[in-house]
Amino acid sequence: MSNLLGLEVKKVTETPPEEVERVRNWINSEEYKEKNFARQALVVNPAHACQPLGAQLCAHSFEGTLPFVHGSQGCASYYRSTLNRHFREPAPAVSDAMSEDGAVFGGQNNLHEGLENAVALYKPKMIAVFTSCMPEVIGDDLTAFIKNAKQKSIVPKDLQIPYANTPSFNGTHIHGYDSMLVSILQTLTEGKQVEGRCTGKVNIIPGCDFNTGDYREYKRILKEFGVPYTILADVGDTFDSPCDGTYNIYAGGTKLEDAADSINGKATITLGPYATPKTFNWIKDNYSGKHVSMSMPMGIEKTDAFIMKVAELFGKEVPASLKNERGRAVDAVTDSHQYMHGKKFAVYGDPDYLTGYVSFLLEMGARPHHILCSRGSKKLEKELQTLLDGSMYGKGCKIYMNKDLWHLRSLVMTDRVDAIIGDTHGKFAARDAGIPLFRFGFPVFDRVNKHRYPIIGYQGVVNMVTEICNKFIDIKDETCEDRYFEMMR
Amino acid sequence: MRQIAIYGKGGIGKSTTTQNTVAGLAYLGKKVMIVGCDPKADSTRLILHAKAQNTVMDLVREKGTVEDLELDDVLKIGYGDIKCVESGGPEPGVGCAGRGVITAINFLEENGAYTDELDFVFYDVLGDVVCGGFAMPIREGKAEEIYIVTSGEMMAMYAANNISKGILKYASSGKVRLAGLICNARKTDKEFELVSALAAKLGTQMIHFVPRDNQVQRAEMRRMTVIEYSPEHPQAQEYRTLAEKILNNKMLVVPTPLEMEELEDLLMEYGIMEAEDESVVGVAEAAA
Amino acid sequence: MSDKIRTVEGITKESTQAMIDDALSAYPEKGKKKRTPHLAPNDASSGCASVKSNKKTVPGVMSARGCAYAGAKGVVWGPIRDMVHVSHGPVGCGWYSWGTRRNLMSGIPGVSSFPMQFTSDFQEKDIVYGGDKKLKVLLEEAHNLFPLAKGISVLSECPVGLIGDDINSVAKQSSKDLEIPIIPCNCEGFRGVSQSLGHHISNDTIRDYIIETREFAEPSGPYDIALIGDYNIGGDVWSAKSLLEEIGLNVKSVWTGDGELEKIAATHTVKLNLIHCYRSMNYMCKVMEEKYGIPWLEFNFFGPTKIRESLRAIGERFDDVIKEKVELAIAKYEPIMQAIIDEYKPRLDGKKVMLLVGGLRPRHTIGAYEDLGMDCVGSGYEFAHNDDYDRTAPEMPDGTVVYDDPSEYEFEKFANALKPDLIGSGIKEKYVFQKMGIPFRQMHSWDYSGPYHGYNGFEIFARDVDMAVNSPTWKLVKAPF
Repeated sequence: MSNLLGLEVKKVTETPPEEVERVRNWINSEEYKEKNFARQALVVNPAHACQPLGAQLCAHSFEGTLPFVHGSQGCASYYRSTLNRHFREPAPAVSDAMSEDGAVFGGQNNLHEGLENAVALYKPKMIAVFTSCMPEVIGDDLTAFIKNAKQKSIVPKDLQIPYANTPSFNGTHIHGYDSMLVSILQTLTEGKQVEGRCTGKVNIIPGCDFNTGDYREYKRILKEFGVPYTILADVGDTFDSPCDGTYNIYAGGTKLEDAADSINGKATITLGPYATPKTFNWIKDNYSGKHVSMSMPMGIEKTDAFIMKVAELFGKEVPASLKNERGRAVDAVTDSHQYMHGKKFAVYGDPDYLTGYVSFLLEMGARPHHILCSRGSKKLEKELQTLLDGSMYGKGCKIYMNKDLWHLRSLVMTDRVDAIIGDTHGKFAARDAGIPLFRFGFPVFDRVNKHRYPIIGYQGVVNMVTEICNKFIDIKDETCEDRYFEMMR
Repeated sequence: MRQIAIYGKGGIGKSTTTQNTVAGLAYLGKKVMIVGCDPKADSTRLILHAKAQNTVMDLVREKGTVEDLELDDVLKIGYGDIKCVESGGPEPGVGCAGRGVITAINFLEENGAYTDELDFVFYDVLGDVVCGGFAMPIREGKAEEIYIVTSGEMMAMYAANNISKGILKYASSGKVRLAGLICNARKTDKEFELVSALAAKLGTQMIHFVPRDNQVQRAEMRRMTVIEYSPEHPQAQEYRTLAEKILNNKMLVVPTPLEMEELEDLLMEYGIMEAEDESVVGVAEAAA
Repeated sequence: MSDKIRTVEGITKESTQAMIDDALSAYPEKGKKKRTPHLAPNDASSGCASVKSNKKTVPGVMSARGCAYAGAKGVVWGPIRDMVHVSHGPVGCGWYSWGTRRNLMSGIPGVSSFPMQFTSDFQEKDIVYGGDKKLKVLLEEAHNLFPLAKGISVLSECPVGLIGDDINSVAKQSSKDLEIPIIPCNCEGFRGVSQSLGHHISNDTIRDYIIETREFAEPSGPYDIALIGDYNIGGDVWSAKSLLEEIGLNVKSVWTGDGELEKIAATHTVKLNLIHCYRSMNYMCKVMEEKYGIPWLEFNFFGPTKIRESLRAIGERFDDVIKEKVELAIAKYEPIMQAIIDEYKPRLDGKKVMLLVGGLRPRHTIGAYEDLGMDCVGSGYEFAHNDDYDRTAPEMPDGTVVYDDPSEYEFEKFANALKPDLIGSGIKEKYVFQKMGIPFRQMHSWDYSGPYHGYNGFEIFARDVDMAVNSPTWKLVKAPF
């Protein structure tokens, strides 16, 4: 017998159908939920990816920038295909294809050869280097490697090569985003601060946001205000590029000179407090002007706060167009509140999305009954609890930190809700529970054009309310008895 | 703030030398932090009078993630207001101790352990520069001065030369420099001359010759440095002298490590090693 | 194999070489030297590879390749439906490969099938202290929460190998404790040059830990076969299996699409192994041939021409009962196929297609395109070996370009020069070419369609190709202003 486990050779068996049925019911039970929540080591269906993915998103957000993975080529293929699937757009990035010898001897040769080829083939204005597991475990020194590359004239001395350590065994994609962003800004703004200079612009940091519509929405709002801006960083055009018969490898991104000059801005607002704390802390210490960290503007109240902050910072009245826009959004929610009021939701996602969903649901009179973050923090938990405590609709809602989507499944099977807000990965739980899943987060692999519809700002409110309410109405139409099937809803 | 890394062969007395020297600097009124970069975690016990300090990695393991850790949990204050941190790490043979060093130093940086008031940060690093993790303390922006603890023993000198090779690699791209050899004497023959000669060949200096004295062990039994245990003892004066020399040291060089043959010639010159007799190579005892 | 050398108008070995030289001219010296042997015009008559392959990817060039872990988890293990597959290491690898291959499976998710992401979600502490203890606890939890899983695979990610964890001994001990097979697979992504090593490692793991550990309950018969190297993309296995059953064969196990562990373990008793994806599973076919005397046969279920050839070749391995059924099946389906060809060929005749895919499709699908009147003007693999290119040479028209692990830069250059009407490749390439206005189909995942295998599959394939090439949306790409 050849097997190395030393197990006895048995006949091929079929699981009896009644046993399948038993387990099928059991996994929906309270007893199973308890066992499931007692897990210590196993993670099933996590709602978070690893740091380099966020770093790549960030790299794509700058003009002419080539994301460069220092590590195994397979890692780069995974990040790229994930972004391809979500945005249905190209996601050009290279790796330096480290393999077994790199693991033993270090990755400097790979990095140098990779930089040389990448510059020759893809002619980037900037190369943003970030790491996958291998160089992090063996302790490659990127600072020295990149310096050596310039000293040895492998790359032009004036080519900007920001780099970030983004170990996958620490944090999630949002942390990788933060590390890459701060590194890029540090690199680009070096020596650019001019005493007394003020660009008069606001720097907007949207955070690790995978919705291109949101970036366009920020720009539109600021245009309405007549406030000049720099988005740090703007992936809106990169991943929503026109199909016109030509392929532009660098389709969008914040202009490098704008990013460099952002250090002389009039104000900087981060709207991704959980996705960009490192960046924001550095900016506080180094950027001119005022510095504000506030929640992602999802829902009416959080959008109001953002709008008022811009008005305050620039000493401007909120323009009539935005006042009207707010009015129309409020019209939309009052017209449709009845379809959401009292409905229970399970919500999960990255921290900045999560505070937005919860705030939005509460102001609609809906209940964010199960709130789950796959990699949360005490700070997040506290902020969410404060939101819940501030509304009667938050009563009885519960927060689950560092739990995965298999935990979520137990929650929605044992303590029913009307819908889930999350991303594509929630579809199995939603199907098992027989409830709709609203894909406002990341990734969305199974619906089209979701990333083009903003979820921030007043327009975001209209989009979310429309999608949610119409779905509930659809369900009613599809499932009600004939005698209750009506013309009006 | 000057950041200093101490390397040297395992068992050479690095941790003892480091702690006594740091105590000497504290005695001179300097503010110092020691970062132990050795999974054995014995770089701070003489300062803290403790058997073992809670290490960064121990607490990371206990709490789950680095994010849940607070600086106060791992940064302890000992003799002379010396701040003490141990990176910690696994038992021999499992996991990746080198990554533990990276994790710990990243944590200290992100949580503001490197305060402006510090005059010195000492990294007491395990044995040799065996992998990228153990080179973390000498990456750019960290330690720029390295002292190698050695003795007149053959293996200690081999190790010192090897470490110099590692430093050379980092020195070519960064600011890290060899600042001297510290001879922790073992009372071997011509020890002073030999280590001085090696230092000269490496392009550096033997910054101090610390004589062997059992007072060090007596202090250690009480988990103290000699400086604290018996400040008036001559051995305490030796460490204070070393501390002062380090304080005033300006001799920072890119080392010129020796080829193996050169090193062996040097050892032969001082009679530490005998010339190789080719006729006995590969001949077993019985056959001979 | 095709019997005559085909050519495509306007393509000669010289024109192809000029196109290759042009693409290579942008490279720095070293990169150029490395890439040159991997690009060449096809020499159809030689029956031999014209390019070098299975070499390290050149750093910095934007390769489409994955890693050993991808080859192990995504390709070989993931499709086995009744096992829990643990991605052992940090969270990412398992997350990125979660449900992104379209290896469909029967069963009830979370109960009797496990299309989910199981991971040990390594943190810093696991790297520093090692993950063996965590693994042991995790295996217990997996067994308790998913009691109907017939086994657990442990698929190592990079850090596990770098820090030297001993998953093999944990697996062995836990197998005994939990009384289920726990299969350790040392498929760290940094090993080898591509997915390919992951296939090989996985085959070796099946050899060492799985094969011969079970026996079929029912007595064996003369028509017992195994379907090897079909991963049930978009339901391919279901289509192929029903056709094989129609010709009288008894498909005892499938490797590994919609696969079942215990049946795979008992495969050593079948009479013939039919292998579709040679690249990923040839190793175990050879093992089973040497060890158990089971012959194996490569076949091709793309498009009526290749299906007919393959069915007859399969029939040759059996008695007249099967041969007769083969002819009956061919007679039954050919008119249906002809009707499909009659519908689509007029719109596709003479259209050019370029391919860059994985294990078998860069050669196996060429016949199906030709059934629709299309010419393959360029083909290549992400991770093939020399024997794959040997098999490809006769399938491609003479002088057309062959590319091994091409960079996106080269692929784009070739597409610009050849102006294909369709490109069949992967998700990373799809939107590049669609922006250029070139119709595209993902040929790894069947672009969320399928199955493409068997007679049933051809109907869908033909519809999809026509839909891509002739969609009116392409006419909108150029603005009138």
